[in-house]
Amino acid sequence: MVDAVIPLALLPKGRRACVSRISGQADHVHRLEEFGLRGGARIEMFRPGNPCIIRMAGNKVCLRSDDLLQVMVRLTDTDS
Amino acid sequence: MTASTERDLTTVALIGNPNTGKSTLFGALVGVRQRVGNYPGVTVERRSGHMEFAGRKIEMIDLPGLYSLAPRSRDEMVAVDVLLGRLDQQTSVDLVVCVLDASNLRRNLYLLSQVLELGMPTVVAVNMLDVAEGRGVKIDWKELENRLGVPVIPTQAVRHVGIADLKAAIHRTADLRPTSRTGPLPAAFHQEVEQLGAWFESEQKKPGRRPIARYLVERLILDANGYLAGELFGSDAQEIRTRLEESRQRLLAAGYRIPGVETDARYAWVQEVLDGVVSEPAAGYPVTWSDRLDHVLTHRVWGSSIFAAVMVLLFQAVFAGAVPFMDLIDTAFASLGQWVETLMAPGALRSLLVDGVIAGVGGVIIFLPQILILFLFIGILEDCGYMARAAYLMDKFMSRVGLSGKSFIPMISSFACAIPGIMATRVIENDRDRLTTILVAPLMTCSARLPVYALLIAAFVPARPVLGVLGLRGLTLFALYALGIGTAVVVVLLLKRTLLRGATPPFVIELPSYKWPSLPTVLHRVVERGWLFLRCAGTMILAVSIVVWAALYFPHNAASVDAQPHLVQLRVELGQTDPGSDQYADLEARYEHERSGEFQRQSYLGRAGHAIEPVFRPLGWDWRISCAVLASFPAREIVVATLGVIFNLGDDVDAESAEGAATFGEELHAATWDHSGEKLFTLPVALSILVFFALCAQCAATLAVIRRETNSWRWPLFTFSYMTILAYVGALITYQVGTWLAG
Repeated sequence: MVDAVIPLALLPKGRRACVSRISGQADHVHRLEEFGLRGGARIEMFRPGNPCIIRMAGNKVCLRSDDLLQVMVRLTDTDS
Repeated sequence: MTASTERDLTTVALIGNPNTGKSTLFGALVGVRQRVGNYPGVTVERRSGHMEFAGRKIEMIDLPGLYSLAPRSRDEMVAVDVLLGRLDQQTSVDLVVCVLDASNLRRNLYLLSQVLELGMPTVVAVNMLDVAEGRGVKIDWKELENRLGVPVIPTQAVRHVGIADLKAAIHRTADLRPTSRTGPLPAAFHQEVEQLGAWFESEQKKPGRRPIARYLVERLILDANGYLAGELFGSDAQEIRTRLEESRQRLLAAGYRIPGVETDARYAWVQEVLDGVVSEPAAGYPVTWSDRLDHVLTHRVWGSSIFAAVMVLLFQAVFAGAVPFMDLIDTAFASLGQWVETLMAPGALRSLLVDGVIAGVGGVIIFLPQILILFLFIGILEDCGYMARAAYLMDKFMSRVGLSGKSFIPMISSFACAIPGIMATRVIENDRDRLTTILVAPLMTCSARLPVYALLIAAFVPARPVLGVLGLRGLTLFALYALGIGTAVVVVLLLKRTLLRGATPPFVIELPSYKWPSLPTVLHRVVERGWLFLRCAGTMILAVSIVVWAALYFPHNAASVDAQPHLVQLRVELGQTDPGSDQYADLEARYEHERSGEFQRQSYLGRAGHAIEPVFRPLGWDWRISCAVLASFPAREIVVATLGVIFNLGDDVDAESAEGAATFGEELHAATWDHSGEKLFTLPVALSILVFFALCAQCAATLAVIRRETNSWRWPLFTFSYMTILAYVGALITYQVGTWLAG
């Protein structure tokens, strides 16, 4: 399915997606953006869960989101 | 003339994202002779070293690894202060070397865009070429240099590739004048910065105001959270806050949200710089062997099992591997003490040297093997990239308690010894998490508690089977470990809700590619930590040992001691025995033991034990136990020896051998209250001592290390107070409930 926006937590293993929106406290969102996790960033779920591991530009990043921080992603392609 | 030609030393700061190989590059530039200290007033590590190139003397400063030059935490504030020369007058930085990871230029250039805005002479080192090439990333170096406007040097620090070029570029660039550069932020933003800057300049003429650099004015507007304003102006300065808020409102009205405007503008700039300069593989990133390893090592079952195995191995190495070395050190110090004893006449000075200095220093150095082995392990795990995976695996568990996965290794290290555990908390970037971890680390059952536990459990807990398979003694030992852990959890939860409250920033860590650990880097770190321990714990414990020795030695009134009836009696017996017989030797040894015991009972510490008895009475302790507990302040394991002395066993009872423990136990069993003749050591009393030692902070070295790591006496004092109160209350409850149950 193209154009479906889902929370990062629901992205299945091996699926690629594009970050669409990060919501939460302004300076926390800012930190993630500085880290490279921002609208438009392409990611791939490496290990789902909380914390999860995602692949981002060839690097792996471990991220724990909570009620205060939500990363929404848009599925890009169906092959994994 | 620029500042750097006037001085004969050029100061260069090294900055970069974490995991860019910055420390390796630093090592490649300055070699192993690095100096590690703290920045004045803060706990951030200051690492520096010297090098020379073409006759120029250069001091390199390795700044903390950062993703952004936005001051929101102490690490970031220090980096900004160093670069802007705000920290102290001596370190004014002439040039910045910004290290970028070639395989992740997009994010790394974000930091560079902030660094360039400072307008200082800058050299860019693009490191980790091998990783980038492995991923199929190609870079047009000439064009990149053109677009950035500063020298760009490709390097591969591990293999020393490009180091000479980098040194040459530093030499060429260092004498350039600082320029003013406007960053990629929108014009409306710069206008606000100009206005505020002008206002600050007019304010600056007022007394007590320091000039505010343009970059800081920018940051003040962007920092909606107010951390920087608090750092610069304290809690008042309402006028500044109002002006900042007005600026933000105007920008918002113009369509620029704070702080998002910064990331938008900088990433747009990064895109411009990289467009056509870097070509990435079109087909996505290839699967590397790091990925394959991670499929196993971060797996819920396999990964966790391997992690558990690594931890068991670590423990085994720390506990068992260190034993031969510890025995060696023990023997060496014992023989040194004996040697001094044969050289010197008995007296206060000899006693000070043997019982105070040599025993005190030996008591510190004996932990060195454990600390070195632990840091060897941690160093290898850190350097090969596994530590980040360990943090990922343990985060689920630790976040339930209110900490993050990064606190796990320091906590588990504290089971060996709290000192390396506390020193290992440097991997935790979040200040509050780090402090919380430091404050509860001493609650973990360290190896120094084991001799106390072993002795008292063997003496007082009956070896009764429980539920068929478990022994009551083993269960007691387990309960004491659990007590430490359980208390730590409660204390963390309390601290996180009271003293160290605050919003936790999102937990994000990079999982760097695996690599072979670099032996020089690891060994360097091990030696550095070992030395740090010796210097800081050594001096503290030595001082305290001498004080306790003096309290146990003086007033040393021989006349009063020798007048004691039981000593008089022994002397009479000695006079009636044949001096050549075995019986005489035994009797003489007993006399010496009794006499030294009497000296200690009459010492200041012995009297203090008497004086303090009413305080410890509700715990079921008499003055002798109180005295032993007081004497064990420098190091809790001393209590075993002190109990031995005070209960008249002589100080050569080896409580760790089975036979010694049995004798010791018998003696303690026989002990009675001074006046009533009632048995002193009952099960509730033994348990109350055990609980006290499980929770107390009787370790001067740990307190010294907490002071070193937090850079203030406040936290060691806090740790000592809260743990002592917990220990007292715990022991009180244990004794009172135990007596009530028994009665």
